[in-house]
Amino acid sequence: MNSRKYNKTYFIVGALFLGIIVLSFILSLFGVGGDPETTSSATKLLAPSSSHIMGTDNLGRDLFARVLSASKYTLFISITGVLVSLTLGTIIGILAGYYGGWIDRVLMLLSNTIMCFPGILLALVAVAVWGPSLFNVIWALGIVFSPSFARVYRTEVIKVKNKEYILNAKILGVSSLRIMAIHIFPNVFTQIIPAVVIGLANMTLFESAMSYLGLGVQPPKASYGKILADAQSYIRVAPWLVIFPAIMLVIYILGLYFISEGIRGDQ
Amino acid sequence: MKARVSYILSKLLEFILTLLLVSLLTFAAFSIIPGDTASAILGPDATPEQLAILREKLGLNVPLYQRYLSWLGGAFTGNLGESTAFGVPVSELIASRLPVTLGLSAIALVIVIVIAYPSAILSSRKPGKTLDQVFSVFGHISFAIPQFVLSLIVILLCSTVFNYFQVGKYVEPSKDFLAYINCLLLPAFCVSVPKIAMTFKFLRASILAEKGSDYVRTSKSRGLSDIKIMFKHILPNSTVSVITALSVVLADLLGGSLVVEQVFNLPGLGRLLIQAISRRDFPLLSGIVFYLATMMVILYFVTDILISIVDPRIKMGEGGQ
Repeated sequence: MNSRKYNKTYFIVGALFLGIIVLSFILSLFGVGGDPETTSSATKLLAPSSSHIMGTDNLGRDLFARVLSASKYTLFISITGVLVSLTLGTIIGILAGYYGGWIDRVLMLLSNTIMCFPGILLALVAVAVWGPSLFNVIWALGIVFSPSFARVYRTEVIKVKNKEYILNAKILGVSSLRIMAIHIFPNVFTQIIPAVVIGLANMTLFESAMSYLGLGVQPPKASYGKILADAQSYIRVAPWLVIFPAIMLVIYILGLYFISEGIRGDQ
Repeated sequence: MKARVSYILSKLLEFILTLLLVSLLTFAAFSIIPGDTASAILGPDATPEQLAILREKLGLNVPLYQRYLSWLGGAFTGNLGESTAFGVPVSELIASRLPVTLGLSAIALVIVIVIAYPSAILSSRKPGKTLDQVFSVFGHISFAIPQFVLSLIVILLCSTVFNYFQVGKYVEPSKDFLAYINCLLLPAFCVSVPKIAMTFKFLRASILAEKGSDYVRTSKSRGLSDIKIMFKHILPNSTVSVITALSVVLADLLGGSLVVEQVFNLPGLGRLLIQAISRRDFPLLSGIVFYLATMMVILYFVTDILISIVDPRIKMGEGGQ
């Protein structure tokens, strides 16, 4: 009973944290805080005040507006990135788990090989070769994370593939494709939800590091990583430039981890 | 014994295949580019003469498979050609930057072990109680702070409040080893924090699993003290089951070092990587990617073999029991 309550607390706190990010996304859609890309030499490096509640940066841009706007890219990249890697991972994992044999070996060797490259290195190099654009960042992250989803799927598929209802379907002459799509996929999908939530968090960790290194979201678009990279030169004179975006970034990732902990406990 | 030999042989085969696949993927990534590598390096403003010279220099005029074979031969003999941005051999550049990145990862690994072990032992004494819960909340928080953000916070604190650490200071290990360690200590701490949480989690689960097993109960009934059981039986056994996790941790530490170096302005492989990317130095980039991935492949291979030696219970693949 106690641990159940404990997991519920995790879930609620996580949902609250996530709510903050979603709220800032909604606020940014309505243009709250002004334009995140307007520069002004009159308002350079102002400390937080009633007119700029999070202060301004070295180009006089309002940090509050930038932090709100950054939530948009963080959410967009993490969600679409997870969709890409989930799709790739689902296909690879189900094929490998269902057919086994040499198909399994080849697919697993390929995904193990991808996992041998330090993830951030692979993502950076992919963006370097393809060129830094929002969609290349999403593709790169999607490919980097697909083996981890493929593994989870493969394990789950191996667990269910010899269950009676699958064998019955086979005897009835249902095609392999239909078995995988209609019978296996929905059954396995619920098992993958915690992995999806963790995937969102990891995707954000990577995207922010890439943007920090200048190979993620490109300026003048605001992203937490880029705001933090710009802030580093002014860390002594304007520490608020580091503190606010850092808090927002951590809140999003922490919220996701808490939620995954909450869900996991319920199972 | 026969099972072990066949297990090691099958792992060796997998190791060689993975290494070949790593080389193929690395080579393909930098060779199969729309247009060609020379125009990708020089950009749209290059003259036909410049392109012709660079194509000749990079050996782009020979067929693709021949280029792959000669690149592969070079990769395994440590000759990956010359960096187009720096004009020095790629392997020389990488070797000069390696002490920073490897040192950072190694110190980070030590920090991970030094902090994760005691906290996992303390936490598993009374699972679910206050201390355990405090540790696990801390674990989640440290998971959620990106390493570069933590680095920035540490720099902010150290440079303004404590006035202790000098960002960007680096001493070569051959000159003053202690100063070298000192320069890398704080960055290594920032690299290690999320991985401390990860190791802690694995270790705690593993210790708890061992605690519930029969041999621990038997040892207790024979009157062995808790401390003795922990250090003589539980910890060695738990360590065996977290070796794989530790190899993943080490791989992540290496990846993390690449980013954290950049924040602390340390002259390691991470900075070289960013320089290579911004100057479109493809020979250097493929060198960095190939050697780092090779290190990982070797690490995972050694881990597999190590586990099969220290833990006889391991399933010996399909051939043995």
